[in-house]
Amino acid sequence: MKNRAFVIKDLSKVKQKILKSEFWEKRVFWAKILLFFILAVLWGRFFYLQVIKHSYYVKKAKSRSVVTYTIKAPRGNIITADGVVVATNKAVFNLYIDIEGVKDKEDEVLYKLSKLLEEDFGSLKERFYLLKKTSISRVLLKSDLRWDEVAKIMVRLYYLPGVSVEVESERYYPYGEAYFHLIGYVSKINREEYLKLKDKGYSVEDLIGRQGLEKVFEEELKGKNGYVEIERDAYGRLGRVIARTEPIAGNDLILTVDHNLQLTAYELLKVRRGAIVALSPSDGGILAMVSAPSVDPQKFITGFTKEEWQAISSAKQSPFLNKALKVYPPGSTYKVITALTALRKGIITSPGQSVFCPGYFNFGSRTFKCWEHRGHGTVGLIKAIAVSCDVYFYTLGTKLDVGDIASVSKEFGLGQKALGWPEEDAGLVPDRAWKRKRLKQDWFPGETVVLSIGQGYILTSPLQLAKLYMVIANGGYLYRPYIVKTIQKVDGTKIEFQPVLEKKIEMTPQHLEWIRQGLIEVVRSGTAKSAAVPGIMVAGKTGTAQVVSLSAKTKHLEHHAWFVSYAGKGTPEIVSTIFVEHGGSGGGVAAPLARELYKVFFKISTPPNQALEEEREEIPEVGENFTGEIANPLEEENAGERR
Amino acid sequence: MQVKEDNHKEAIKRNLKGFLVVLALFALGNIHQFFIAESLGFFIKNLLWHVLGLSIFFFLLFFTDYKKVSFRALWYAYWILNFVLFIMLIFGKRWLNLGFLSLQPSEFVKFILLWLISLYLSREPSEVIPPKKLLKIFGLIALPLILIMPADLDYAFIMGVMFFSWLLFIGIPKRIFILLLSGVLLFSFVFVPIAWQKLKPHQKGRIYGYLEPEKYAKTWGYQLNQSLIAIGSGGLTGQKFYKGWSTRLGYLPAKHTDLAFAVWAETWGLLGVSVFLALYGYLIYFGICVSQTTKDWFGKYLSLGVSLIFLWQLFFNLGGCSGLLPMTSIPLPFLSYGGSITILVYILLYLLFNVAIKKYFFK
Repeated sequence: MKNRAFVIKDLSKVKQKILKSEFWEKRVFWAKILLFFILAVLWGRFFYLQVIKHSYYVKKAKSRSVVTYTIKAPRGNIITADGVVVATNKAVFNLYIDIEGVKDKEDEVLYKLSKLLEEDFGSLKERFYLLKKTSISRVLLKSDLRWDEVAKIMVRLYYLPGVSVEVESERYYPYGEAYFHLIGYVSKINREEYLKLKDKGYSVEDLIGRQGLEKVFEEELKGKNGYVEIERDAYGRLGRVIARTEPIAGNDLILTVDHNLQLTAYELLKVRRGAIVALSPSDGGILAMVSAPSVDPQKFITGFTKEEWQAISSAKQSPFLNKALKVYPPGSTYKVITALTALRKGIITSPGQSVFCPGYFNFGSRTFKCWEHRGHGTVGLIKAIAVSCDVYFYTLGTKLDVGDIASVSKEFGLGQKALGWPEEDAGLVPDRAWKRKRLKQDWFPGETVVLSIGQGYILTSPLQLAKLYMVIANGGYLYRPYIVKTIQKVDGTKIEFQPVLEKKIEMTPQHLEWIRQGLIEVVRSGTAKSAAVPGIMVAGKTGTAQVVSLSAKTKHLEHHAWFVSYAGKGTPEIVSTIFVEHGGSGGGVAAPLARELYKVFFKISTPPNQALEEEREEIPEVGENFTGEIANPLEEENAGERR
Repeated sequence: MQVKEDNHKEAIKRNLKGFLVVLALFALGNIHQFFIAESLGFFIKNLLWHVLGLSIFFFLLFFTDYKKVSFRALWYAYWILNFVLFIMLIFGKRWLNLGFLSLQPSEFVKFILLWLISLYLSREPSEVIPPKKLLKIFGLIALPLILIMPADLDYAFIMGVMFFSWLLFIGIPKRIFILLLSGVLLFSFVFVPIAWQKLKPHQKGRIYGYLEPEKYAKTWGYQLNQSLIAIGSGGLTGQKFYKGWSTRLGYLPAKHTDLAFAVWAETWGLLGVSVFLALYGYLIYFGICVSQTTKDWFGKYLSLGVSLIFLWQLFFNLGGCSGLLPMTSIPLPFLSYGGSITILVYILLYLLFNVAIKKYFFK
């Protein structure tokens, strides 16, 4: 009984416990603790992500789902003085592929595009992969799409993730090669430049001026890029525009250049090699500046074919150089400097002072020859200039000090950049100090004799010579040549450039008159009769610069032909330099070109569209070669600088 | 049985709050799906599931009694379910495609097991489950989980966590618990390194993606990374409808199902997250209170089990999408789209509310 009672009692105790479920209360309490713990942990985690890390994730979300593209600012136009637009922009449709957007669907998208553009899939793919290496965010797969291509792509854009077609302005040069050296060209910015310039608002896809005005006036022409932010979905499709900043177009440049003259100059020169520069003597404004051979600047945008590029980059004529700004031996055109020095030093007191030219000149143990082997007989200053008598100037050379010639040269702007462009050469005016420094040698008196006829170390550019003759033409006003007359901003405001008078060179009027008479006689009776234009005063000086090469291959190169002149109906209205590289004689080759140029300038004939006829046969061969016995230290051109 | 008028009133009064919370979550989930849905059809499909679920809920709530279920019926259901799972295991499928709808039978394992075990244990309630019984129960649980495991490892694991934690509250003898714990620890120390080598690349990748979502943003961590961006960019008050970048621009994979909460967090921010956690948390709290106040043990076990299932479901889903836990493909009740899960949710709620209501008609 006892035992049983105990069991019952014990059982009922357990049952009571179960019925009361006290232990269950405890467990439920712990369940609640677990619930609140988990809720707290989760809430804390979301608080951390959504409040503390909020800005971090917003930034990530934006960089993932918003793409920023640059809207290129249209570059400024370049307009000639007579209002012809010679560099502008045209609207083109460009096909871009966003690298991130196309991701793993590259093949699919490229295949569809190859069908739409009717191109070979393989070559399109190859092009894409090549471009991808050099592009950062997107690849310009094809530029200048046709209308039908644009339409075909636009309607299928939903199925072409990462693809976009953009209307962009592309640089356009309507007159191509004639303006290549003057305007220069643009090409895509490279990596180093981008890193340097990105603070100035350049984007990776921007074009940058490479030469000529495009480079020098880059900051004016560039404009300010705009930006557009577009949403991109997970499949790479582009959607809504979130923000847009419009670009600001670059400023226009209005030039001093005369369009007809420029085209004429190029037509005259394009079958030859060389440069033509024309200046206005009243302010130094450049009326024309061409160099040949030339390159079509449009090709830098549309692309060269492999053959074209090889032809250009390996050409001996170096079409990239602006020969108007490169330096060459000036030959006899330099004789005016010798004459001016002699007049200033009082060595020539009247044009009647004469020298007898037997065709040669003995100096010390050496014999220097006149280009006219038969000799000129008795020559005074005016005749000496007109017939370019070497012996007359040798004689002056023996009486002058090289220092004086050099200082007069420098006074007239030789040996320094005329325009200040990066591709320009300063040239070389030799003197004692220079020779000591560069060649570690003393100056020989014989070298002064050689210098006096524009040979030897002296190097000048066609533009520098035009500047020199401009001073003679306008009576002593050394203007700095300039090419941009006005900068016109988008809002219509203009910045006018005033001509810069570098200095007024004091010259005795009588001396100036004698020199001018000599230059007139050059055309009237002397070496450049072929430059005469009826009814127009033309005065100038020919030059035939000897090119002696030390290398056997180029030994028999022709001489450089020069003709520097000014012309006008009463007062001089134009100064020009005609330079034909390895062209032959100045009188035979260069002077006729000047005549054609002046004919167009004075509206006697219309600008030629065809190449100028060869005038060589009509005009007797005139060779005013220096044939001195001393070896010319110049190798090809510019050798003095190289040493 | 005597039913008084007062009891009706009392039953409604005491459970009204919990019921309103269910309705609030129902509305919230459908509104959410409405704004995510790309087509109206998708939203309507989801709404129909919810309406169907709610109808089942009401029908069973008023016309059935959880206590009147026969053991035999549950037992057969259990075996039929296992048979279906076995067939699916052979064909290597997770979804049972019936043509007009596809079901995920593994979801139904939860309530069958819950009901069956509760019934079994409540026959002789005790402070701790006797070892023999415990062994049987482990066997009951293990069978379907093993059948699920090859196709859906995460789900099997999470269900294991759910039932184990439930049994822990019901009462596992201390000695057995310690034995199990040390066994699990030993197992993991010995087998984890071996298992790691045996894991398939995609399984390893999920671990990598969990540990460093930003490093593997393009591969294994893609989902988690996008989910974190979506949640983080929601901020305090969210980006509102149709504004969120992640949702609208299709960066969130599984935005209707597993990552539905990331969308919620992006749209409504921490404010929305707090509201949801409060509502959902209250529902679980309500379930635990039901377990506390119910007089019969069958009800106690059942309602606690339902609460725990809801709790773990929340924890693994939210923990997964917020990078707290490795990401698992477990849906979140109410917010996630899906037929099976929606029906299951309402069946579980039926069990909970049935327990809550019936106690007033007991005496």
